[in-house]
Amino acid sequence: MSAPSLTRQRARVGWFLTLPALVVVAAVTIFPVAYSVAISFTRVGLTYDGLRVEDWTLSNYATMLGSSAWREALVFTLGYTVVTVAVELVLGIAVAVLLDRLEVGRGWLLALLLIPWSMITVVSAQLWGYLYNATYGAVTWGLGLLLDEPPVILGTPAPAITAMAVADIWKTTPFVAVIVLAGLVRIPAERYEAAEVDGAGAWRTFVSVVLPALRPVVAVAVLFRVLQAFGIFDLPFVLTQGGPGTATQSLAMLGYRALFHDLDMGMGAAVATATGLLVLGCCLLFLRVFRSHVDEAGEGGAT
Amino acid sequence: MALRRRSLLTAGVGVGVGVAALAGCGGGRGGAPDLARAAEVPRGEVTVRWWSFPMATGDGRDLRTLLIDAFRRHHPTITVETVDAPAVTDVSRAVLATAVAGGAASPDLYLGDVAWPAQFAHNALALPLDSVVGAGYWDAYPEPLVRAVGHAGDSYAFPFYVDQAYLYYRRDLLDRHGLAVPGSWEELAEAVRVVTRAGDAEYGLAFQGAVYEGLTANVAEFVADAGGAILDEEGTRVTLGGRSGERALTFLRDLVADGVAPRAVGTFREQDSTDAFVGGRALFLRNWAYVWGVVEAPDSPVAGRVGAVPRPGFADGAAAGHGCLGGWCNFVNPHSEQPGAAVAFARFCAEEEAQVIMMRNTSYLPALTAVRAGAEARRSSTPVLAAADEVRLVARPTGTPHYPQVSKALATHVNTLLTGGATPAEALAHARDGIAAALEGTAL
Amino acid sequence: MSRRGRRRTGVRRYLNPVTVGGLLLVVVTAAPLYWMAVTSFKSPVEAGASPPTPFPEDPTLDNYRHALDAADMGRYLYNSAVVCVSSTVIVLALALLAGYALARLPMRGRGPVMVGLLMISVFPVIAVVTPLYLVERELGLLNSHAGLIIPYVAFHLPFAVWMLRNSLLDLPRELEEAATIDGAGVLRTLRSVILPGAGPALFTAGVFTFAATWTEFLMALTLNSENDFRTIPVGIAIYGDRYQVPYGVIFAAAMAATVPVALLVLVFRRAVLSGLTDGAVKG
Repeated sequence: MSAPSLTRQRARVGWFLTLPALVVVAAVTIFPVAYSVAISFTRVGLTYDGLRVEDWTLSNYATMLGSSAWREALVFTLGYTVVTVAVELVLGIAVAVLLDRLEVGRGWLLALLLIPWSMITVVSAQLWGYLYNATYGAVTWGLGLLLDEPPVILGTPAPAITAMAVADIWKTTPFVAVIVLAGLVRIPAERYEAAEVDGAGAWRTFVSVVLPALRPVVAVAVLFRVLQAFGIFDLPFVLTQGGPGTATQSLAMLGYRALFHDLDMGMGAAVATATGLLVLGCCLLFLRVFRSHVDEAGEGGAT
Repeated sequence: MALRRRSLLTAGVGVGVGVAALAGCGGGRGGAPDLARAAEVPRGEVTVRWWSFPMATGDGRDLRTLLIDAFRRHHPTITVETVDAPAVTDVSRAVLATAVAGGAASPDLYLGDVAWPAQFAHNALALPLDSVVGAGYWDAYPEPLVRAVGHAGDSYAFPFYVDQAYLYYRRDLLDRHGLAVPGSWEELAEAVRVVTRAGDAEYGLAFQGAVYEGLTANVAEFVADAGGAILDEEGTRVTLGGRSGERALTFLRDLVADGVAPRAVGTFREQDSTDAFVGGRALFLRNWAYVWGVVEAPDSPVAGRVGAVPRPGFADGAAAGHGCLGGWCNFVNPHSEQPGAAVAFARFCAEEEAQVIMMRNTSYLPALTAVRAGAEARRSSTPVLAAADEVRLVARPTGTPHYPQVSKALATHVNTLLTGGATPAEALAHARDGIAAALEGTAL
Repeated sequence: MSRRGRRRTGVRRYLNPVTVGGLLLVVVTAAPLYWMAVTSFKSPVEAGASPPTPFPEDPTLDNYRHALDAADMGRYLYNSAVVCVSSTVIVLALALLAGYALARLPMRGRGPVMVGLLMISVFPVIAVVTPLYLVERELGLLNSHAGLIIPYVAFHLPFAVWMLRNSLLDLPRELEEAATIDGAGVLRTLRSVILPGAGPALFTAGVFTFAATWTEFLMALTLNSENDFRTIPVGIAIYGDRYQVPYGVIFAAAMAATVPVALLVLVFRRAVLSGLTDGAVKG
């Protein structure tokens, strides 16, 4: 029944449906992104007439690659992304399974989980900053009950990074959980039944039925969590300002500072462009490893 | 299967299309500002918008309203509207820089940090003022302040209020142990030992040691105490180093190592340090003038038991009494459509009538020397105002347009020192390198 | 419904690993929120007290009075509501159409489209704010609701399209094919077959877009710098001054921004839940 003409017609309709979204995205984003990429290859000066390109150059990238601040920020951002996304993924799946199984108060729990997620990041960062405060923070006080000499949480590298990850996980695990839950409820019941007939235990069922079925939604969750985690900015900005030393300075902070503190547009754009390329690389690698659905056929399916 | 190189390429072409057309594409179309117009107060009805933040008066009003009312008595045709700026300095700068660099005509004038003029001048974000008011205009202000608002032979901001650092102390605790207000850092350390050993305070000295501009201010003061400076007068060369640099950094390290300052000081900003002091944990506090209002507030547990003096110096060092120069100034937007009216208002705020209104109604310290050092100020019952003119103002290394990078390099490495990650010699060497790179514009 | 068919009874209905885990989750999630709520009723001195007090010893509404007086909270809430609801609705509409087409219709070049959308998303927002400002200035869009809605839609569409496409991929084809055989056009298939099955994905994408736009700071700050068009996150950033972070006041303002959303979700929790779980493929 998929005669060539029918296929062609359906494809035309497809483009017709896709175009509005593409046009909006392209119209708004292509210029700013291209502008930034172009600026990253220049030395620009601000004058009374606006931005003036003084020189086309690779020096921004050279400076960036040679800078220890950039390398440290890169290492921090990569490590932080891998760890928080991995933890959030595991916890998110656990929470989703729990929500799926819970018999009482599901609605209440879901509503509660949505609150941290919808909190303004700057505010939640301030809340955690308050909890971690070295003199009167509740967490500091709690640690003081357990340890003889509790660490100065935000003033020591390892505790500061951990503290930041905890704040992040608290806020964004619900994001992963909700996405996973939306996929979980759509697994056809007969797959469970088949597993039951095969005599698979709960864990085997989970590994052989649930996880594979969740692959498409998990792929999206991880992809966009990686994007967000890689761009982490508000949290270190409020909690530690990148300290102690440079222990929690992220790439996005580095770029923001270059752009908006130093007013060095070229350098800021270079950091941003490099970050974008890195994230893109990570995402494509991830998709390839995950063998997910960027293929032209679009037939990947869940199995 | 998953990804074809072709997909990447095709997608890439889309994004790349615009790039070629972009060379030299910029924002604003303002052109060089018309300085003659800026010097003239317009005749007709005009409105200017003032980017500023609320400043509370003693009776709960907003200083801005008082100033605008007073201004309107002289210039009834000029309306001044306020636009609330974000509270955080750096956020305010980000928004202003984006707008003004993009050629926006509003706000017509804006309150900005006294650390900004060099950077804003360099990036054409502020109107040059010498030809508008005459170069002699600035003689009425303290010399470090005049240098701070100047850059490359012109001036870029009207002084508004000055912020400066003091040493706050717990009078009751010093009295209890028969101790005098310390005249030197050595005496201060000794007093801390006596009082903390007796269990009357948890910490000795609280100051600002987190990785941010506030730490730069603290370091600038200690370096000045030791007889040095971070940059030369022109702001083009690093002078931090040698004996003075080593002494300042070693002393900072020892403050933490000897328990004179709390271990957590590397996370302290203004608020944390003030909270430690107001909460009764710290014997001494280095902080800005505004803190007087906080410690003497009706609900403060230490109200009536606190004194404030200019900071001490080293027993054998250079002069005592250094305090970092902070505060805010009014800048005029070079793209303003009403530069004359904006200049008139900014100028009004810098001059005697407004400065006296400010002194009488708020806890902000005036900038005009005649008011700061005048009889009324010296008779004030508020020690931070009475002693305003005694503080030797030390500028942060703000003479360079790359001040944010310089400050970041300094704060980062001194914070590493305070949190135990480097020795004074290492921190000094790294800070020097970082500052040198910043001055060349090759810092990140 | 076989999995949930094994209803537990009596005490075991409440005391089992799942409920215990749920309780643990509640405690972990709620504790910081509780702390925020409590602190919003404390005086500045009590907020800075150590050891911290588990509930306010001398509860005060001063923080709320401050938060509501100092800034035009009502105005900010209204702006946020207009911008976020419009953005979310537009994003969902466009993403549903595009997601369906990209998942199901035989178009060549779907791969580049998906990757292209991804490429837009990977570029750090910090770097696009300045050029966006310049463009909006040229078009006179600064300080308007549309000036935020348009970029919000554009920057949040990629996620929504990805989300919808990936979840529509494994909707059973049989129904769609049946509809096609019946002679239904693409649009009718979309309405009668796809839409009912897209509930959870639409809901997730909707909540994501709403939460992301509700909390967005940098664009809102830069593009709408006039008081009349500021949104809640920007409004909250005006509190305090250069040196003081008034935790009590900020938390009070945050409560004022959070409570309406929380109440809505609570009141409609059944709808929320069914939005998320409807379209479950019944066996």
